[in-house]
Amino acid sequence: MTARYAITAYLFLLPAFAFFALMYYGPILNILSNSFHTGPQADVFAGLDNFLRAFADPAVHNSFAVTLIFGAGTTLGAIVLGLALALLVDKPLTGRVIYRAALLVPYLTSVAIVGLLWRNILDPQLGILNRLLDTLGLPTQTWLTTQPLVTIIAVTLWMNVGYTMVLFLAGLQGIPDMYHEAATIDGANASQRFWRITLPLLAPTTVFVSVMSVISGLQAFAQAYIITGGGPAAETDLYIFHVFNVAFSSRDFGYASALSFLLLLVIIVFTVLQLRAGRRGEVSY
Amino acid sequence: MTPASRIACYVVLTIAALITVVPLLYMLSLSLQTEAETMSADPVLWPEALQWGNYAELFERAPFGHFIANSLIVAGGITLAHLIFDPLVGYVFAKFRFPLKNTLFLMLLMTLMVPLFVRMIPLYTMMSNIGWINTHQGLIVPFLMDAFGIFLMRQFIQPIPDDLIQAARIDGASELRIYAQVILPQVKPALAVLGLFTFVFQWNEFLWPLIATTTEEMRTIPVGLTLFNQEYFTLWHLTAAGSVLLFLPTAAIFLLTQRYFVRGITLSGIK
Repeated sequence: MTARYAITAYLFLLPAFAFFALMYYGPILNILSNSFHTGPQADVFAGLDNFLRAFADPAVHNSFAVTLIFGAGTTLGAIVLGLALALLVDKPLTGRVIYRAALLVPYLTSVAIVGLLWRNILDPQLGILNRLLDTLGLPTQTWLTTQPLVTIIAVTLWMNVGYTMVLFLAGLQGIPDMYHEAATIDGANASQRFWRITLPLLAPTTVFVSVMSVISGLQAFAQAYIITGGGPAAETDLYIFHVFNVAFSSRDFGYASALSFLLLLVIIVFTVLQLRAGRRGEVSY
Repeated sequence: MTPASRIACYVVLTIAALITVVPLLYMLSLSLQTEAETMSADPVLWPEALQWGNYAELFERAPFGHFIANSLIVAGGITLAHLIFDPLVGYVFAKFRFPLKNTLFLMLLMTLMVPLFVRMIPLYTMMSNIGWINTHQGLIVPFLMDAFGIFLMRQFIQPIPDDLIQAARIDGASELRIYAQVILPQVKPALAVLGLFTFVFQWNEFLWPLIATTTEEMRTIPVGLTLFNQEYFTLWHLTAAGSVLLFLPTAAIFLLTQRYFVRGITLSGIK
């Protein structure tokens, strides 16, 4: 009887594992093997050449640095703003459901919309943002020329902050009321309650949000593809955009695979570090 | 809360909500302006006369009907596949006992750590070897199921009592029938969340359709819009109209199913 159920189980799983083998495990092995090859078909064995080339390539250094700043900026911003907004929409205010929805709306848009829309809004001549600043008597900016990286970080935050807000809101609602009540009785004020109770109890959420945000920040692509084209002077040459160009414009699949593989390692290292840090800060209740 | 802090909360929240919503309203406004208005050195907040014709013009200047059809086929096809495969595999891991179960489940979860950028070059090579670049199947097949959806379904199927399944077995129901008539009806809300999320995510997807399509007629809306904008970059009124059309279905889904949606986000944050 048990054997029959086991066979049924394997039969049900067969298509799934065929799929994952072809679409996940295979590709992982494939980029690993491509990393050690070169040539237009990535079929000439090159040993460690691709990796040595990556370590010596100033364009790669630049795009890695750009991506780290981008990932750090979007993550920090998402945590601070997401948490702040979550604290506000968690309060018993009339209409908080509407505020939650309004703040979440940009997260529902495609990155294509976000890119195109903000390219228009930020345009130094046509853009409405400079017009608004001018009306308010503030100095206008050439956003994508003088502050390109900060600008695409801000645009990304605009898109994603509602998502982190919802995650923090769920975290806040998971904290039992009695902790705050007990602290209030003991005479703790609002700021003490936030720093000593809310924040430590939110540690698991904060770790989760930062891991997700760092991972997605390091993989950002469309911001460079649509908004800045990687420029000016490669100041916004996000890593995946760089890899995309190496692979699909220069048709250098071996080198692009090595670059992808290196980023994967970086992402794994970040994830492990963050999970470790999170475990230390975790409070059980 | 004191009245003063209450007012302060409202002020901050209102400013934040205006920052998230006003740019999207401006997109709507741009989509209804004349080309001259969008190019004016004095940006037009709201058009003098609403140019609904822009939406028709978009279909004349770009194969926008194709873009919409492609997006529906691809996002719809992927969503359907997820709804078929994810709960089935989740059911097996939730309710069956078999050798190597934990190892296989771990192997499955490991795929969550494989980002799209790792897959994009090998998938491209594979799809081009079998001639699937620039086809619907090339856009759909790499995303037929995913470990997260399977994991989610397993979480929802696990609490269903085993007695229910045993009773059906004793009544002589086949395994597939048990799955379809006992398990699936119990997890309808979870299926709704999975379906909504998969659809919206795939509807908005940008990188793979950009890589895997080569002709105008095969583009999905996000890719079509971006490339359209590059080709006719001055046509902001049409770009905005296209953006509105891309956003409408997601906005409608969100308005109708807000609660499910927020639930989907929090579920994706399960620790």
